[in-house]
This record gives sequence, C-alpha cells and structure tokens, in this order.
Amino acid sequence: MIDTAAALPFPVSERTLASGLRVVAVKVESGGLQAYYSIVRTGSRNEVDPGKSGFAHFFEHMMFRGTERCPQEAYKDELRRIGASSNAATFNDYTVFHILSSSASLEKIVELEADRFRNLSYGEPAFQTEARAVLGEYNAGRSDPLQRMHESLAENAFTRHPYGHTVIGSLEDIEAMPDHFAYSRDFFDRHYRPDNAVLLVVGDVCDEQLFAAVERHYGGWGQGPGRPTIPEEPPQTRENRVALDWRGPTAPLLLEGWRIPAFSTENLDLQALDLLAELLFSRHGRLHRRLVLEEQTVESLSGASDVRVDPGLFTVLVRPRRPERLAEVEAAVDDEIARIAREGVDPRTLRDALSHVRYSFAHALSSADRVAKVGAELISLAGELGVLNGYRARFAEVTSEDVRRVAGTYFQPTSRTLVTLTGSPS
Amino acid sequence: MIRTILLPSATSPLVSIRVYFGVGSVCDPRGKEGLAALTAAMLGRGGSRSRRYAEVLAALYPMAARIDTQADKEAVVFSGTVHRDNLEPYADLLADQIVQPRFADEDLERNRRDALEHITRRLRGTDDETLGKEALGALLYRGHPYGHPCAGTEAGLAAITLSDVKAFHVGRFTQDRLILGLAGGYPDDVPARLLERFTALPPRGLPLPVLPPPPARRSAEVLLVEKDAPATAISLGHPLRITRAHPDFYPLTVARSYLGEHRTFNGVLLQKMRGLRGLNYGDYAYIESFIQDGASTFPLPNLPRTQQHFEIWIRPVRPASALFALRLALREIEVLRTDGIPGPDFEETRRFLLHYSRLWTQDDSRRLGHAIDGLVHGVDIVSELARRLPTMTKGDVDRAVREHLSTSHWAAALVTSQAAALRRLLLQGAPAPITYDTGSMPPEVLEEDRRIESFPLPVSEAATTVLPVASLFAS
Repeated sequence: MIDTAAALPFPVSERTLASGLRVVAVKVESGGLQAYYSIVRTGSRNEVDPGKSGFAHFFEHMMFRGTERCPQEAYKDELRRIGASSNAATFNDYTVFHILSSSASLEKIVELEADRFRNLSYGEPAFQTEARAVLGEYNAGRSDPLQRMHESLAENAFTRHPYGHTVIGSLEDIEAMPDHFAYSRDFFDRHYRPDNAVLLVVGDVCDEQLFAAVERHYGGWGQGPGRPTIPEEPPQTRENRVALDWRGPTAPLLLEGWRIPAFSTENLDLQALDLLAELLFSRHGRLHRRLVLEEQTVESLSGASDVRVDPGLFTVLVRPRRPERLAEVEAAVDDEIARIAREGVDPRTLRDALSHVRYSFAHALSSADRVAKVGAELISLAGELGVLNGYRARFAEVTSEDVRRVAGTYFQPTSRTLVTLTGSPS
Repeated sequence: MIRTILLPSATSPLVSIRVYFGVGSVCDPRGKEGLAALTAAMLGRGGSRSRRYAEVLAALYPMAARIDTQADKEAVVFSGTVHRDNLEPYADLLADQIVQPRFADEDLERNRRDALEHITRRLRGTDDETLGKEALGALLYRGHPYGHPCAGTEAGLAAITLSDVKAFHVGRFTQDRLILGLAGGYPDDVPARLLERFTALPPRGLPLPVLPPPPARRSAEVLLVEKDAPATAISLGHPLRITRAHPDFYPLTVARSYLGEHRTFNGVLLQKMRGLRGLNYGDYAYIESFIQDGASTFPLPNLPRTQQHFEIWIRPVRPASALFALRLALREIEVLRTDGIPGPDFEETRRFLLHYSRLWTQDDSRRLGHAIDGLVHGVDIVSELARRLPTMTKGDVDRAVREHLSTSHWAAALVTSQAAALRRLLLQGAPAPITYDTGSMPPEVLEEDRRIESFPLPVSEAATTVLPVASLFAS
C-alpha cells in the first residue's frame, strides 16, 4: 500500500523573502524539466467592486502584455527561444501563471517573471484590445449550456460574496471592460504584491540556485496598498430553485449546490465530504449503478466538494436522458443522501472509497507539472504547501460516523440552490 | 506476431499500459457508421465474460483505475495508469475486457445511446467548435472512409446489431493489428504474462480497406452550418499529401508552428487576430489530426492517419467579423507562400520546436504513446525533429509551404446563425470591412485591415452550401 503519511513523496524546501514572497521548491525526477508556477492568491473571490466581475481573469490576460524592458513580443520571443509551454489560469481563489521548460532555463525564467510581476506596463489601446479577446473567450463557451447553468448557480447561491459570479464574469461586465483602464492599474497595484504571491517550482530544480535567483530578481518588489475586505456571505435560510430554458438541442441538466464550510485543517468535515462525494457519485456507487447502468435513464452524474478559501458549495451535476426525468433524478439524489445520513456507510464501502482517494492522489503526481498543479491548489487555500501531507493523512481517520454526520449536517433543503435546464429540439 | 514496446522505469511507482489496435472507423461498413467506435466502447466500457460492467467498475474503483478508450479513424487504444500495487489485477482485468468481452445487450444500448447523444446533442447542440471541425472533416472527405465522425452517424448507429459488434471484434481486434505497450515501474515478468493473455485473440484479421485519395478539390468550398449560435466557429483547411514519414513534414511543422502552435501565444494567426485586434480567443494551425490531451496543450498520442490535412482553427468570432477572420487566415497563408517565413521567425520557431517537442513525452503514458506512434509511422516525431531541425534551412520551409499549402483549393466550415447573410456576402465578393468598438487602433493595423478585407475569397455559388445543423451526420 502507498504511505498516506507522505502523500507528497518528494523533498520540499521553502524560503520566504523579507518582502513576504514565499518560494517553494519540490524536487521531482523529471528528465531535466521544471514547472515554474507563480501563484497569486487573488481570484474572482476578490472582485468586490460592482461591475468588475471577471476582472481577476481579465488581469491574467493583461499579464502577458509586457514591460518597458521586455515588451509583449520580446517576452513571447524569449519563451519561444527556450521552448517553453507557458499559460495561465484563473480560479475563484487564485490566479496561476505556469511555465514548463527545461531546468536549464531557470535563471532566464526567474528574470522574465520577476520583471513582469514588478514592472507590468501597458497602454489603453492594448488594454481595450485584450478586453475583446476576453469577450472572445466568453463567446467560445457560449454554445455550452453549462456556462449559463454555472452563472445561475453562483448568482442564486450567494447574495453578497463574490462567489456569486463566475470566474470569467458576467457578459455585461465583460462588454464594459474596455472602459476600466484606470481600475486595472489599481487592481495590479493592490493584488500583484509579494505578500500575496507564492512561487512554486517543481521538477529537476536546485533549491539553492532557485532561492538565490529569486533573491536577485524579485528582491526590490515592495508591498502595496491594502487589499479590499471580502464581504461575508450570510447563512442561507431558504432553498433556491431556478428553471432555465435553452434554445437548441441539449441533454436536460440538473445542477445543485449545497453550502459547505471553508477550507480548514481544524476538523475532518472536508475529508468526510470528499468521501461522501465518492460514495454518492463514483461510477461504482449505487446511484450510478441504478440510474446509468440498470435503468439507463441518466447519461452521467457527478458531484464534488468544491473546497475554497471561504465557504463554497458541494455541487452535483446530473444529465438525465429525458427532461421528464429531472424530478425523479433529483429525488433519487436526495434519497441517497438521506440514506447515508441515516445509516452511515458499511466498512467495506468506506475502505474502498479511502483506497480510491489515496490512489487517485498518487496518480495525480505522475509528472512535475501535475505535482505543481496539485501544489498550487493547496497553496491557494492554505498559503503554504506544508499542510498537504497532514491534510491528506487525515483521510485515514474518517469514520462512517463522520460521513453520516456531514451528510446530515450540510445537505438540508435550506442550504441548497438547484438549477435545471431543458432544451428545445432544434 | 504481437508487437510490444517496453519502457521500464524502476523508480516509478506508477505503470502505464497501452493496448493499441490498428483498426478504426475506416473499417465501418457503409450504413453501419460508428461500428468501430461502438465495438471499442463495448470492450472498454462494457462487461467481460467473468464480470458484468457494474462488477468491472467495482473492481477498478479501489485502485482508482480506469480504462480509457480512444477510437479514431485508423486506431483504437485502451489505456490506463495504475499504481504498481495494483498492476496485476488491473492488467488481468484489462485483458479480460479485450479478449473475452461480455457483449451484453444492456451495454450495447447504453453505449449506443451515449454515441447518439454525442452526435445529436453535443455536436449539434452544445459544442460549436468541435462541430466546426467535424463539419470540415465531412467536407474534405466527402464519400471517403474518413468522411463521417468516428462516433458514427445517427442512421449508422441505429442500424448496428450485437452480431455486427461481435463479428467486428473477431475480425478486427486481432494479434496482427495489436501493439502492446508498458511503461513505468512494472516487475520484469509482467509483460510476458500480459502478452500471453492476448494470444487468445485471433492471429490475423480481415484486410484493412485501401483508402482512396481524398476527393480532388478544384476550387474553394464553404459549408455554412445554420444554427442558433451567438458566435461563429470556423475551421478551414485542405488535404495534404504527406505524413510524418515524408521529409517535407518537418519543415512544414516549422511553418505550422509559426502560423499557430496549439494553445500557445506564438503564432502569427493568434497575434494578428487576438493580440492586435481582439477578434477572438485563439487561432491555431495543424498538419495532422490533433486532439488536445485533457487540460494540457499537447496532442493525444495514437491518432495515426495515413492521410492528413492542413487545418486552421479560428475560435468563435462575432458573426460580423467571420469573413474578415477567414480572409485574414487565408491571407497569412498566401503571405507565407509568397514571402516565405521571416528569417528571425524561422530561427526562433526552429529553436522553439527543438525544446518544446521534448515536453510532448513528459510522463510515462505519453512516452509510451509516442513510442507506439513511432512504430506505426516508422519514425519517431520527437527524434526526427531533433535530427532534422539543426540542419533545416529557411529555404526548406519556404519550399515545403509552396509545395503543400494552398490558398485556392481549400474548404471552410462556419457554424453560424447568419448563414444566409454570410453566403450572400461571400458570393458578392465585396470587401468585408471590420469595425472596432474600442479605442483607436494603430494606423499600421488599420492599413493592414484594408488589405485583408479585400483579400479574394473565390467561391462559386455551387461551392457555397448552407445546411441546417440537424441534417449533419444523420446518415
């Protein structure tokens, strides 16, 4: 069996600069490659100002617009010269810029990244053009009804917290983005700061060489103005239900979200919720067996505990084959949650789920880049990588009673938002 | 008779297995389109003689293992990665699935429904970009064995019986078509034992169909797929006469990367459409079949095709910008044909590919997939790029571009709500000026816009078709 006490079986070293910038090196044999991740702990969660949904993601785009010393074209050419794969992604709680390349390029990458994080420079025309590329990204997803479903789920599940909009933002706010040039400079000034960033480098990396290079290039990066307070979401007191129509053919869809607690290492609730998601929605689970395999009334069903910095949602997505099955499928999910809340789970089923969770994590570490992805997510939640092994190890402590308890606690109708969508034939 | 590829890595706790068969949708009988993919689904996502499918899933679950099933035009691959703790039960189960499938009625109906939903709901309904690519494929290979989606057609899937599936398995999933690959930290005795399991398959299969050449293109052709789409997805391209086995493939790879390396910011198409003009999210070029591997930017391995085509993927644009975007892409090809690749770009793209291609094999499963592709093609693309790029010249690239890329014999598929209007504009041949709703554009961009908007799109009335989306992939 794999050792759950060492979920991340690689040497890790850390250094924190005087500016507050934390640097983490994870040594993984990777054939001379490294994954260089710059994690900014700002995501759509930090979009507190009205009319600015999607701005963290927009700013991810702007980070590729260059500096005076290294303009956009020069930055692109430098990365092309070293044969790097480079991109970025924005989530609810963080934005990550990642570069996969030969380890021999470490010094150059540190230099390039330090420059753009400290000295980003762009004019209003470039800003406005990039805003339209963001609109293009939104449009690329518009034929998928899930984009509309997730917008609706967020809008209805949260009343004050910025989790009430999706990461890419609302169409209305995206269309207005070209008007917010001055705001964008302020956004950079507030959020792209060393005390809000972590560098994570995974692969064939020499930690001392990395730390020295970071000291050299990021050394003068200073702290900025404070970041805005994020409004607290009040407790949900009633169930929200929304029914959407869709023009065109689509599978009918059921998307549910139940409020769950924020990331924490204080108790076992999040591990128990992860296991509950496995028990409810794995392809080995009772619901899948009945609805997908035996009755064949459902094309697919899935569920996950979406753990975030602030209280988030346990989400469920079901694709029945016919719209008239939506109510029946909703009831089937409810019944299964209620059964686990009543009866708990038998030892063998729990043992299988624990085994699945352990091996899934081991599989997720198959390359330096994948290790970095796992690390970035945890850093976004905890601010550090050090809690990972302890957090993973505690899965082994979860009992049937823990699973029963979280099923009974968090899955009350008053903490649910439910969105359904049905399409027209053509 | 069974070919094997072994890539041991003693320190790895994981083991990847790929079971590759040189068979695919080119073997679908006429009227039974989708048979190869449905048979593959019955093996990868069905029961075996010893286990119902629910029991297969129950056995895989504690291992966190899966059987990934990929069915393409000329290859079907079953693959998975497991921790070495679980290698023996996983390998046994995988062999059972492929050698002794259950062929249960309930598995057939479920897999058939999934395939039909892929066509009628996903392609026609909710994924306009993939729809555009499949529509281009249907246009380029009309009447050819590549001319239908690998998943099949509505009528083809409806016509397939369990007897068809059983016969296809016996006749096509045979030892002579099989390449078995293992990579990672497996014990020494496992490959031989797994190989032995597959000797229960029939030794030889039915001969593969001989592919005709793609239909000859005498001019440009446009298919406008009419659907209620907020933005217009565009794919364009034309057949190529070369594959990885041809020396010109490698200089053309440099040209392809210069035009638009998949999901990178390097390409001139992306720079001009997104970077300078904010038209859309991305624009990329391909000279062989490409499916993105998960969330990575790299291609899935094991999609070999004996015939390939050049393709440009223009991500959705506003309908009013669609013809401008199409003209911009074609004009860039024409500029490349006429002026050649700029010297500095040639040098940087060549250098980029030397390093970047190493990233294609960054884990055991991908390394194994590439090794299998090397065996199928007779050349390993990463090694071949490493060998050829250092001595390649700008002249090699320019000659390959002039030889193999065309701006007169192309086809394009546009998925749009404005099909009739776009058709009218295309046939009028009038310039397609673009307007910007943001601030001032640099004068050099506006100057180039004037040249792009009048770039000729010589399409005839007969070669400009509007089809309602519901008619695509029906039969």
